[in-house]
Amino acid sequence: MKQIWSIAATTLGEAIRRRVLLVILLVGVVFIAIAPGLGVLSARSETTVLRSMLLGIIQMTSAVIAVVLTVYMIPNEIERRTIYTILSKPVQRWQFLLGKYFGAVLSLAVMMALMTGVLCIAYWIQQGYNAQGLQDLLKAPVMFFVQMCLLAAIGLFFSTFVSPLVNFFLSGGLYLLGSTFSLLFQDMLANPNAPGVAKMIATVVNVIVPNFAYYNIQNPIINPQVVIQDEFQNYVKIMAYGVAYIGALLVAGILIFDRREV
Amino acid sequence: MAAAIETKSLTKTYKLRNGKVNVVDKLDLYVEEGEIFGFLGPNGAGKTTTIKMLLGIIYPTSGEAKVLGKEAGDINTHRIISYLPEKPYYYEYMTGMEILKFYGSLFGINDPAKFQSLLERVNLAGDAGKPISAYSKGMQQRIGLAQSLLNDPRLLFLDEPTGGLDPIAHIEIRDLILQFREEGKTVFISSHALSDVERICDRVAIINKGVIARQGKLDELLRGGRIEVIADQVPADFPAKLKDLRVTSSYNNARLILDIDEEEDVNGVLDSLRSAKAHIVSVIPRRKKLEDLFLETVKNVSEKRTTTMSGAAQ
Repeated sequence: MKQIWSIAATTLGEAIRRRVLLVILLVGVVFIAIAPGLGVLSARSETTVLRSMLLGIIQMTSAVIAVVLTVYMIPNEIERRTIYTILSKPVQRWQFLLGKYFGAVLSLAVMMALMTGVLCIAYWIQQGYNAQGLQDLLKAPVMFFVQMCLLAAIGLFFSTFVSPLVNFFLSGGLYLLGSTFSLLFQDMLANPNAPGVAKMIATVVNVIVPNFAYYNIQNPIINPQVVIQDEFQNYVKIMAYGVAYIGALLVAGILIFDRREV
Repeated sequence: MAAAIETKSLTKTYKLRNGKVNVVDKLDLYVEEGEIFGFLGPNGAGKTTTIKMLLGIIYPTSGEAKVLGKEAGDINTHRIISYLPEKPYYYEYMTGMEILKFYGSLFGINDPAKFQSLLERVNLAGDAGKPISAYSKGMQQRIGLAQSLLNDPRLLFLDEPTGGLDPIAHIEIRDLILQFREEGKTVFISSHALSDVERICDRVAIINKGVIARQGKLDELLRGGRIEVIADQVPADFPAKLKDLRVTSSYNNARLILDIDEEEDVNGVLDSLRSAKAHIVSVIPRRKKLEDLFLETVKNVSEKRTTTMSGAAQ
């Protein structure tokens, strides 16, 4: 356990010093800070647009950070030979991989917490103090965090056997597919008139590609008229779904990495 | 003496587009505990691949490898061995002290006094607070050695420990390695610095194209070098009398210098000199140089391979 924690802490220390991640984070923070000033350009209600923009910026920035953070994780360790000094110590490969994953999760937590903090301040300045409004708003970053942990697990899984560039497109592609098309595939499965081949493809995609859209809970936050049935239960369910996918990805990653020549 | 490292027919094969290549081919290696063992070979000979297999970082295709009596890669063995890779890289944002804390934590060691004493041992106590990015090559190599000593290892694998260092850093590292022997540690060094190996190693193995070409005690491998005889007051026609022996002659300030290839010819030459009433100044057995042995071995293996390949082609 100590080994996993040490590797995770080192991964965090490295991540918060990586210029590319800091630039992405800075861009996200700047956009969140100036977003309230852009809200007036919309014809729709200011609050709706503002919430939508702020959450959209956090989600997009976090997704880019999660992918950039994890695609280089294993290849960099091999290229710089840091992995050799670590694996020649009493550290198992699974401990190394879990350490890297938890380090990525910690890094995402720190960076997303910073963006969420700026979001709260921006929202407060624009809307005045509204405890209930803030509380509702914060549900989305929490769900986004679970979503990003899932995306980080995908990035780390691929980084055990593909190059960073290929991984970037694979992870980014799966994220887009899982965010935008999962609901479409689910509709197709529910449609009794859909062709058999299409249903088969939809089933495969539905099982393999995690449904990132589950975590996009902005609608009820942006539009208070939209109500989620059994909200708490729903959140627990999608969190468990995410944890199960993450677990499966980490196990698969460990099995591949365990036999990999480094 | 117990074996620190023992391999039997250790082989590593890589698949290429146009076939397979044995990077390490049926390697039989034996390293005794407490000795400094030099593992020599040209670039691409299979040295680093062998070390990685011994550490369990990569897996052998066939054969056996034991390190301190256990299968290579055994996690408990990793508690008592250490490794300094060629051109090591450390997390650059960390300071020297943080590097030791990090690697120490992988062993469950959190002992600031120990970290401090290791930094002092490698002459980095004054630079402990500097980030690794500000360290010179020699300093990075020294912090590498310090991290490799954290667990007080019984066996150290050092891959090119003096590569790319200036002469002072070079000597410092060499002296540290000699101290390891005094402490009873086994050191397995892969190196191109033949003069260092000759000076500090007890035994060596020369590997070329994945095959062990020579292995043994350095003294025995370098024995059988030429013998130099210097004499003066030698008649001018004397060298001509030695034409049947394996001797080369030259003059330096009227002194005759005879290089005798074979030990068995020495007495004959000395008798001839005495008969010619020459004055024998000195008889010096010259040990072979490791550099000569290395070149001779590598060349032989390459020639044998070429012959075998052309034979197979016919």
